[in-house]
Amino acid sequence: MTEPARHGVGRPLLLPSAADLAAPLPSESDVVIVGGGLAGCAVAYYLAKSGVEVAVVERGELNREASGTNAGSFHFQIAIHQLSGASTSEDRARLLLDARLHAAAAEHWYELEDELGCDLGVHQTGGLMLAETPEQAQVLRDKQVIEHEAGLETELLSAAELRAGAPYLAEDLAGATYCDREGHANPLLAAPAFAARAIEAGAVVRTHAGVESVHHLKDAGGAARFAVRTSAGTIRAARLVNAAGAWAAELAAMSGLALPVRSEGLHVNVTEPREHVLTPMLQHIGRRLTLKQAANGTFIIGGGWPARPEAPPARYSVRWDSAAGNAAVALRVMPMLADVRVTHMWTGVMTFVDDLTPIIGEFERLPGYFMCLATTGFTLGPLVARSLAEAMTGKGPVALPAAYAPERVPSLSGSHPG
Amino acid sequence: MSSRTQSCAVLVVGGGPAGLSAAATAAAHGLSTLLVDERPSLGGQIHRQPGPGFRVTDARRLGRDYRRGLELVEEAARAGAGLRTQTGVVALRSSHAVCFEEPAAGGGGGSGEIFEVKAEQVVLAPGAHDRPVAFPGWTLPGVLTAGGAQALLKASRVVPGNRVAFAGSGPLALAFPAQLRHYGVNVVLALEAGPGPGLRQVASLVAAGHGNESLLADGLRYRVQLARWHVPLRYRRIVVRAEGDGRVEAVVHAAVDSSWNPVPGSEETLAVDTLCVGYGFVPSNELFRLAGCAQRYDEDLGGPIVEVDEWQRTSVPGVLAAGDGTGVRGAPVAVDQGVLAGLGAAAALGAVSPSTAEGLAAPARRRLAAKERFRKALLSMYAVGPGVYRLTTPGTVICRCEEVTRRHLDEALASTADLNVVKSYTRAGMGLCQGRNCQRQIAALVAERAGGAGAGGDGGDGRTGRAGGIAAVEPTTARPPVRPVPLGAIADDSIRDEGLFVRD
Repeated sequence: MTEPARHGVGRPLLLPSAADLAAPLPSESDVVIVGGGLAGCAVAYYLAKSGVEVAVVERGELNREASGTNAGSFHFQIAIHQLSGASTSEDRARLLLDARLHAAAAEHWYELEDELGCDLGVHQTGGLMLAETPEQAQVLRDKQVIEHEAGLETELLSAAELRAGAPYLAEDLAGATYCDREGHANPLLAAPAFAARAIEAGAVVRTHAGVESVHHLKDAGGAARFAVRTSAGTIRAARLVNAAGAWAAELAAMSGLALPVRSEGLHVNVTEPREHVLTPMLQHIGRRLTLKQAANGTFIIGGGWPARPEAPPARYSVRWDSAAGNAAVALRVMPMLADVRVTHMWTGVMTFVDDLTPIIGEFERLPGYFMCLATTGFTLGPLVARSLAEAMTGKGPVALPAAYAPERVPSLSGSHPG
Repeated sequence: MSSRTQSCAVLVVGGGPAGLSAAATAAAHGLSTLLVDERPSLGGQIHRQPGPGFRVTDARRLGRDYRRGLELVEEAARAGAGLRTQTGVVALRSSHAVCFEEPAAGGGGGSGEIFEVKAEQVVLAPGAHDRPVAFPGWTLPGVLTAGGAQALLKASRVVPGNRVAFAGSGPLALAFPAQLRHYGVNVVLALEAGPGPGLRQVASLVAAGHGNESLLADGLRYRVQLARWHVPLRYRRIVVRAEGDGRVEAVVHAAVDSSWNPVPGSEETLAVDTLCVGYGFVPSNELFRLAGCAQRYDEDLGGPIVEVDEWQRTSVPGVLAAGDGTGVRGAPVAVDQGVLAGLGAAAALGAVSPSTAEGLAAPARRRLAAKERFRKALLSMYAVGPGVYRLTTPGTVICRCEEVTRRHLDEALASTADLNVVKSYTRAGMGLCQGRNCQRQIAALVAERAGGAGAGGDGGDGRTGRAGGIAAVEPTTARPPVRPVPLGAIADDSIRDEGLFVRD
């Protein structure tokens, strides 16, 4: 559990220029991507790098929603947000696929700072998934078998091993699993860096361009065309990528497509900086918790406690009971933090798919309409964006899994007006 | 660790002159009233009482600000208001407040305690803090704000240094060096960024002086005191940088034009061990922003100020505001605004009839109108010049908590004009002070880029939008906690973890 070298440190901020982000929207593009979060910016980067003409439209500023308001954790181990409450054996097929995706995401994040040539605050310094009760310890054992089968390396720690290896934790925890590739990156920097590199590769990234309507056209050859009307002008494209995250269903509905996507406000507590004590990221298999100490010494405490929905522009406000519940779980596993002061709370948004599975790929009933939506999108965003871009350019090593197809089950797609 | 909820008719936040008079007024009308203040002693900045551990043996020697404060505290206590110190509101949603009571100093430690207050009416009287102004060297030890120096003197009886320069502006600017000198501080230089009082200004002040004789007398008294103590007082000059190795050793000051832009070639250097900076005050508006109260921008009243009606009611039902938090106008105004807010809350709860309330409010309203005339006359002398926000160099640390330099901010500002986004790119404003020291400065940088010099209103009459385009820059999103709170105080084991993320 020692801290490896951070290869991105010391590199300057990589941000797109204000002039680029305000450039006029082209009237035509091969691909239009809706959503300037991590998924949209990353898809734009990978497409532009392959020579595809691409434009991103974002209604606000880049990276202001789930991509930039999550706590930056890498969730590679199977975690509470993937569990349905049934036994892991009932979820086995899905969890196996997830674990394979996570293993690939771990590799991808490891290379990302070099790929983009900037500091993204990537720390793959390990992660502990904690259990408080014997039942939770059993869930850890069960999910570890699945991870092992998927090729994701995790290590089971008994209560005694945990105490020896992590003496800063509560003494009465029931055990843990450890994944050395877990950790975190800075969610504030990843999407802007992708956007900057995408622009360098020829992409257009336009902020303050909110989509008002999506019209479907046919070109002379009968292929689908999209006319996307935004607050910054209309753009026509042969292909559309829905990377609208929490608003993916809203955007899809403009095209008569139904998506089983919902969103919730998310609470994060941030403390004052303290001397470095905690190297791995902490998660809890039975309660909502992520806890880590950032490079600057602050503790970032999240895990999916809800925030209160508000009318825009506030969107979500802090629920004090979430702050209090989140703090209680954190102190349950790490009591020594009791006197550390919370200086900030932030709220963001989390996106869920009802079957707990990403939606990546093309709608069969609406060719040219692509989805790029991952739950736990920060961990998986860059990887699924690359996979989608590879599929769109025909360069992918493997086809996207059928399990992620937008129309994987009949209930997942609505009627298309034709 | 478990949360406790209590209820009262009126919760008053802030124990300065506004809060104390609001609490006294509400309690005098039979309303259960609780006043909380985060400091260890009541009175606020001007009337601050000595901190715990001090015993006053000779009240006269502490001056009339102290004695007036004691009167206000005693009046609120006599009326039956509950007064709790070291207790701040850290979160607020309409009139439902989350309070944090700090652990008693020297007590058995502990994290302090969180309790919630459900009030029917809330009077927010958070006061103001020093207008933060960044310049090269402003983070050196030995550079402190006027308010900070005042708190040291009044609450802790500590003198800040041996050779002190004061730089600042505003109606109170002369009060500070006079006060420092009163406490025995060796003030070697006092700078006022505004002009010396010319005939025209004096005439307009005298014209507006009716009902404000005491303020006129104060101004004269400070000037006479400084002259008697041989404190050099220089007008139209500001400190452009502080120098020193590890702590301040010298100040460099320069003449400024009417927009407070330094005049080239006018720099002078003076050896000091302490620099005290006081360019006026800005309202502490975090609670208003959290509550969602409508605000407007007026740099001369301190920047973003909450809008209130004739009973000090904000745009949020049940939330009233009084004192410098509604625009910096000083302690006497705060007292009268507190009276109006107390009456407003009492009227809203039916504890006083509208006509009775109107009658009781009349004297306060008369005094407030006179003071407002005087304030406007003073503006011709003490309007804040935008030059004060242009003193930084690329290497100047602007966010001192996160040690973010202007160079780093410039990188982010090349990408966005959104303060929330600048904050996320640079971490400026994410530290312990939560942006109180850097946000205004960053907003000025945004405004400067957006509109160039023109947005600062350099030309024209110098009266409108002087600090410029800042007014148009949206502040960052307000979130609790208003002050840092230990995890142990926040944590509540009784709250149910929602557990799994699947839909029911």
